[in-house]
Amino acid sequence: MRISSVTMFEQSVSSMNRQQGEFLKVSEQVASGRRVVNPSDDPQAASRAVGVDQSKAMTQQYADSRVSARNSLSQSESVLNSVSDAVTSAKTLLIQAASDTLSDADRQSVASELRGVYETLLGQANATDGNGRYLFGGYRDDSPPFVKDSSGAVQYVGDDRGREQRIDSSRLMEVSSSGAGIFQSVPSGADSVATADKDNTGSVTFKGPQVVDREAVDSGASYDITFSYDALATPPSYTYEVTDSAGGSLMPPVTGSYDPDASEPVRIEFGGLTMELEGQPADGDSIAVRPADHKDNTDLFTTLESALGVLENPAQNDAEKAALRNTLNTSMRKLDNSLDNVLTTRASMGARLNELDVVDQVGSNRLLNYEQTLSDLVDLDYAEAASEYSLRQLGLQASQLTFADLKDMSLFNYLR
Amino acid sequence: MSIFSTGLSGLNAAQNALQTTSNNISNVYTPGYNREVTLLGEARADGGVRVNDIQRQFDQYVAAQLNAATSKTSALEAYRGQVEQIDSLLADRDAGLAPLMQNFFSALEDLASAPSDPAARQGVLGNVDTLSAQFRSFDGYLQDMQDGINGQIRDEVTQINNATEQLADINREIALARARSGEAPNGLLNQRDQLVHELSERLDVRLTIQDGKTYNVSLPNGQPLVAGTNHYRLESMDSPGDPQRTVLGYRDSGGNRVALDEGIVSGGTLGGLMQFRAETLDKTQNQIGQLAVSLGVALNQQHVNGVDLNGEQGGELFKIGEPRAYANTRNAGSAEVSDVRFDADNIDRLTASDYTVRVINAPPSGAADFQVTRKDSGAALDASELSFADPNADGTGATLSFGGVTVTFDDSSDLAASDRFEVQPVRRAAGGLEGAIVDLDKIAAGSLLHGDSDAIASFQAAPGALSGSVSWSLSVSDDGSGGFDIVATNGNPADDLNFSAVGKGDTISVDGVDLTLGELKDGQALALDLSGSGSGDNRNALAMQSLQTTSLVGGSASLSGAYGAMVSDVGNRTNIVQVNLDAQQGLSDQLRAAQQSESGVNLDEEAANLIRYQQYYQANARVIETGTVVLDTILGLRN
Repeated sequence: MRISSVTMFEQSVSSMNRQQGEFLKVSEQVASGRRVVNPSDDPQAASRAVGVDQSKAMTQQYADSRVSARNSLSQSESVLNSVSDAVTSAKTLLIQAASDTLSDADRQSVASELRGVYETLLGQANATDGNGRYLFGGYRDDSPPFVKDSSGAVQYVGDDRGREQRIDSSRLMEVSSSGAGIFQSVPSGADSVATADKDNTGSVTFKGPQVVDREAVDSGASYDITFSYDALATPPSYTYEVTDSAGGSLMPPVTGSYDPDASEPVRIEFGGLTMELEGQPADGDSIAVRPADHKDNTDLFTTLESALGVLENPAQNDAEKAALRNTLNTSMRKLDNSLDNVLTTRASMGARLNELDVVDQVGSNRLLNYEQTLSDLVDLDYAEAASEYSLRQLGLQASQLTFADLKDMSLFNYLR
Repeated sequence: MSIFSTGLSGLNAAQNALQTTSNNISNVYTPGYNREVTLLGEARADGGVRVNDIQRQFDQYVAAQLNAATSKTSALEAYRGQVEQIDSLLADRDAGLAPLMQNFFSALEDLASAPSDPAARQGVLGNVDTLSAQFRSFDGYLQDMQDGINGQIRDEVTQINNATEQLADINREIALARARSGEAPNGLLNQRDQLVHELSERLDVRLTIQDGKTYNVSLPNGQPLVAGTNHYRLESMDSPGDPQRTVLGYRDSGGNRVALDEGIVSGGTLGGLMQFRAETLDKTQNQIGQLAVSLGVALNQQHVNGVDLNGEQGGELFKIGEPRAYANTRNAGSAEVSDVRFDADNIDRLTASDYTVRVINAPPSGAADFQVTRKDSGAALDASELSFADPNADGTGATLSFGGVTVTFDDSSDLAASDRFEVQPVRRAAGGLEGAIVDLDKIAAGSLLHGDSDAIASFQAAPGALSGSVSWSLSVSDDGSGGFDIVATNGNPADDLNFSAVGKGDTISVDGVDLTLGELKDGQALALDLSGSGSGDNRNALAMQSLQTTSLVGGSASLSGAYGAMVSDVGNRTNIVQVNLDAQQGLSDQLRAAQQSESGVNLDEEAANLIRYQQYYQANARVIETGTVVLDTILGLRN
C-alpha cells in the first residue's frame, strides 16, 4: 500500500500522543494514590464509593454522638453517685436521731446536720453540665428544675422527658434523666410505707410493715389501721381494725383487741404484711399503709422536709415523742425506697455507658471495614501502578525513537 | 524534422511532469491537496509524446466515507470535551456535594446533642449556607456550560454559513471554468472537496453530486444548504419552547424563522454539542435540581414541625428555586403561565425530567384535555397522574398539577388546541437554593407535640399552625366499640374538636396540624404547644437528622443514593463516549490512511519522480542535440 508522507508523520505523532496520554493517566493515578480519579474511570466503583463514604460519615457521626452521650451520662452518673452517698448519710442520721437516748439538743444538732445533707441534695439535683445546662431538668434544661416554693418546700418544675440521642443507626438512647424520675420516684416492687395520722393524740408507735408472704402482697393496695376505745366494755378495752382505703372491712375482717400495757408489741397481719404496734392509743387514732409509689411517698425532698420538721421541734409529751418516732420510721422507709431508686437509675446509666462502649467497638470495626472497602474501590494498587508506569514510559520512549528515526528516512537525503 | 518535434514533445512532457512533481512536493502538507499524476500518451499523428492529463488522484467513495466518519468523530470529540467537565466536577470527593451533605447532617447531630448550644446552632446554619452555596455553584457551573453551548452553536452556525457560501461560489467558478476550457482546475476541485470535509466536521451533511459536476449539500432531513450556485443560511435562534436555549433554524419561503428539531443534526461538532446538551447536561442539571428540591422541601417540612428557642413555630430552613414554565412561541392561543410552583403534598412525584404539556381540547374542562409528556423518556403521563382545577369556574387561575408541580394559567379559556407549554420543574432549582435563617434562635430543635408518643405515628404542621400560640390538649378515650374518641381543647369550650370512632392510621387535623394516629390507649394525653418545649428538647433535631437515610428523592432514593446514581450516570456516559470515540477514531484513522494512500503525496516517490523526469528531460534534450548533429552533418556535406 502507498503510504503518504503525511500519514507517516500523522501516525507517529498520534501514537506519541496516545502514549503520552496513557503515561499521564498513570502518573496522575500514582500522584493521587487513586485508581479512580474521575467517575468515568470506573463508574460503578465511583458510585459505590459515594455510598460507602456516606455510611462511613454516618458511622463517624454516630461516634461523635456517642461521645456527647457518654459525656452526659457520666456526668449524671457521677452526680447520682454523690446523691446516693448523701441519701445514705441522711439515713444514718435518722437512725441516730431515732435513738431514745438522744436529748432534744442532740436531735437539734442531728437536725442541722440533716439540713446540710438536704441542701447538698438540692444542689446535686440542680447540678449543671459544662455548658451550664441543668442535668435533671428534662427538656427544660435552662433553669433549675428543683425550686423552693414560698413555704420552703422543694418543687419540681422541670420536664418529665429525658433527652434522647441517636447513638447508632437504629438506637435512640436516653442520655439525660428527668429529675422527677430520680428524686420523685420509687422503683417498682418497693415496700409499702406506713404513716401515722398527724392528728393522732395517742402514743402508739409502729414498726414495719414487713412482708411475710410475698405471694399475698397486693403492691397497689392501701390500708388503714384504726383504733377505737370501747368504754362500755368490761373492762374498757381498745380494739383495732384494718380497713381498705375506702373504709371497708377486709375479707376476712382483720380486727382484734389491743392491750396497751402488753409487754410484747402487738403483731397484726394483713395482706401479706405484718406490723408491730406498741403504746397507748386514743380513740380514732389511725395509721395509714400506702403503696410505695403513692404520691405522698415518692418525693425525696418531702421525706427529708418532714423528718426535719419533727427533729427541729422538741418533743414535749408522749404523743409528740410517738409522732417523732413514727415520722422517723416512715422517713427511713421512704429514704430506703428513694435510695433504691437512685441506685436503680445509676445502674441503668451504667448499663447505658457499657452499651456505648460496645457500640463504640462495633462502630470502630465498621469504620475500618468501610475504609477498607473504600480503599478497595478507588485506591491504587501501587505495585501494579508502578509496573504500568514503567511500561508506559517505555512505550512513549519507543514511539519517540521511532519518530526520530523516521525523519532521517528520506530519499532526498541521498540526492547529493 | 520529426526528431526535433519528437524531442520537443518529450521536453514539454518532462517539464510538465517535473512541474507536477514539484507541485506535489510543495503541497505535501497542504490540507485538502490531492496528489497529481501526469498522464502521458503517444502523440497520434507524427510520433512523440503528449500530456494527456494532469490527473487529480481523488476517490469520491473513500472521501465520502471519510467525511461521514469525521462527522461522527468530531461529534464524539465535542461530546467528550463537554462531558469530561462534568466528570471532573463530580470527581472531587472532598469538596463535592456528598461530603457537604454529610457535614450538614453531622451538624444536625451536634444540634441533637446540645439543642440550645449556640455553637451547635451556628454549625447548622453554617452548613446550611455552605451546602446551598455548593448547590448553587454546581448549578452555576452547569448553567455556564448551557450558555457556552448556546454560544458555540451560534459560532458554528456562522462558520457553516461561511462554508456554504464559499461552496456555492466555488460551484459557480467551476461551472464557469468548465464552460471556458471544458476542464475544471484541480485547485478549485480540491478546495471544494476540502470545504465539504470541513463542513462534515461541523455537522453531518448529505452531499449529492449533480451531473457529476455540481455539489449540492443538504441537512440530514433534506433541508438544502447549497443547491448549485445558491446557498441557504442556517440560523441560530431561541427554542420556541424554551427561550434560554439556542437551537438551529432556517427561514422558510415566507421568510419566517422555523426551528429545527434538536435531533436532526447528530454529527459534527454541532451534533455532538446538541446531543450532549439533550442527553447529559439537561439531565445532570435536573438531577442536581431534584436533589436540591428534595433536600430543601423535606427539611422545611420537618422544620415547621418544630419549635424554636423563642417559642415559635419553625419557619423555612431553605429557600428553594422556583420551577419554570414557558409557553411555546408558536402557540395559537394567548394563554400564559402565570405561576408555577412545587406541589409540596406530592413532592415525592418530582422527577429529574422536563415536561411538555399539550392541550388536546380547548378550552380544557378536565385533566383529560391535556397531554403531558416526559421529555427524557418521551412517555406520556397517565391521566390519573394529572389533576386540573378551575377554582373561579371561568378559566382564570386554572391549575394543572402533575409530577410534583402545579402550573397556573392566567386564563385557560384562552388556550387553543395543540398549544404547548414546556415545564422545567427542577432545572434551576439548585441555583435558587439558599439558607432562609440567619438568627440562631430560629432553628427549631424542639417538637410542638408533647405527651404520649405512642399515640401519634407521625404528624405534619402547616406553616402558621397553632395560630396565636394557643396550646391544644388532646385526650384519648375508648369508645367501647373498638374505636377511640379524641377531644381536643384549647381551653375555650366553644373551640373544642371532637373526633369519634378513630383508630390507628386515621388522620385528624387540629389547628393546622395533621396528626396520623398510632397505637391508641384509653387515657392517653397529648398536647400541641409552642411554649411547652424546653431548651433541651431535641426531638425535631433528631427527626431532621434521620432524614439523612430517608428516601427523599423521587420517593425511592436517599440523598446520597441519588447523588451516587448521578455520579455513576455521568461516569458511565463519559466512559461510553470515550470508548466510542476511541473506536470511531480508529475507523477514521484507517479511512484517512486509505484516503491518503490514494491522494496523499509520498516524498520518496516524488524524489524518485524528480530523478526520473530529470533524466527524461536530459534524454529528450539529447534527442534534440542528436537531431542537431544529424542536421549539422547533413548541412556540412557541402563543405
